[in-house]
Amino acid sequence: MNNRSNLTQWMLLILKKDLLLSYRRAATYMTPLIFFLIVVTLFPLALGPDKSLLSTLSPAIIWVTALLASLLAVESIFHEDYRDGTLDYFFISGEPIFILIFIKVLGHWLVTGVPLLIAALLSSLILFMSKDIIISLFISLFLGSFSLSLLGALGGALSLGRSAILSAIIVLPLSVPILLLGSATVFSAINYSDYSVYLFYMGAILSLAIPGLSLATVEAIKLNYE
Amino acid sequence: MGSSPSIFRFISTIFPWLFFFSILFLMGSLFWGLIVAPTDYKQGDAYRIIFIHVPSAILGQSGYIFMAVFGFICLVWRAKVAGLIVRSIAPAGASFTLLALVSGSIWGKPTWGTWWVWDARLTSTLILFFLYIAIISLFSVIESKQKADRAGSILALVGVVIIPIIKKSVDWWQTLHQSSTFSLSSSPSMTADMYLPLLSCVLAFYLIFLVIVLSRMKLEIVQRERSTNWVKDFYS
Repeated sequence: MNNRSNLTQWMLLILKKDLLLSYRRAATYMTPLIFFLIVVTLFPLALGPDKSLLSTLSPAIIWVTALLASLLAVESIFHEDYRDGTLDYFFISGEPIFILIFIKVLGHWLVTGVPLLIAALLSSLILFMSKDIIISLFISLFLGSFSLSLLGALGGALSLGRSAILSAIIVLPLSVPILLLGSATVFSAINYSDYSVYLFYMGAILSLAIPGLSLATVEAIKLNYE
Repeated sequence: MGSSPSIFRFISTIFPWLFFFSILFLMGSLFWGLIVAPTDYKQGDAYRIIFIHVPSAILGQSGYIFMAVFGFICLVWRAKVAGLIVRSIAPAGASFTLLALVSGSIWGKPTWGTWWVWDARLTSTLILFFLYIAIISLFSVIESKQKADRAGSILALVGVVIIPIIKKSVDWWQTLHQSSTFSLSSSPSMTADMYLPLLSCVLAFYLIFLVIVLSRMKLEIVQRERSTNWVKDFYS
């Protein structure tokens, strides 16, 4: 009984610390947001202002940009905690570490993934996306960005203290199913066909990713403590 | 798991025999497939690239599975040799996957009229190749060999879970677009005098794969233990 409350305390503590830190320093949640908006702006500049072309490509543009933004945002998630020794306390806490790591990724997703959802809605306006499909875009991004955060955390843990590009190389091939399912959701919404199948699969991937990738991330972090 | 010196000696003993046998077997199989086997009535002699393409594609995929199995052993039982095997398989598997991609597009040019199609199989093979590259770059970036072995094992293991998902999702994605009606799997059923040389080529490629992995293992053991006495004794 005592043990359980201890774990809950740890989880709340980690969540509170991460949320407070990013609240105090706007760069943590603003940087991915601004990155997202700038990259989305680059597409009309490169493709030309053709309204119908942009509207057709908008789901792909938003999904690819969201993928890059959420992976880049989560890449450095463990850097600071590794440097200042917070991660050491995870390991000597005696609690199941993969739960603590999961909470850490959850906190990170709350401050980076959720702003991205808002930015995606904003950019669906400037890319002339039709209004009917915004719901499908929103739900698929909601499910997908959390899976991507978990995946990016693994990449960040494997490349701890190394270049961000290595983390991208590691994680991008693995993120293919999420991208395919996410854009398939939106494209089938465009064709007025049933897209719930894709969302179910994205949910299934997310529920596999939560325990699986948290465990793999713990293993990867442990490599730095030998 | 045995110690490095005994594994090294075992590989060194069987290696010359295995090497010559595999080369002979490969030459025989390729001769059988490329010259003896009958010409296809539809594709002519262009079909003969199947004797390179199919074995290398099979090796690319089963190489990844072997890598994940040894990665699992490396992570769970902390067996150093398993990590060594993972590291030795990665470049071999990547080369066979690349060979499958290249031979496939050479085959695609005369039969489909194009070097590349965003077909489900081609796309998932390309992603398999990228996964190999990711693991190899992880190996090359982390200086500590044993740390790198385990990092690569983690990635291989996560990847092996994701490969079936990638295959499935690429299938759905492809059916959604309906851009391609080509499929490698729906080729007409072959006659025995084409099928048997193909089987023989697959076996030969497995042997060559084993030869490559064993020779890389030998090299890797010598590199890691170059300052020990037994290596100096072996080469003196």
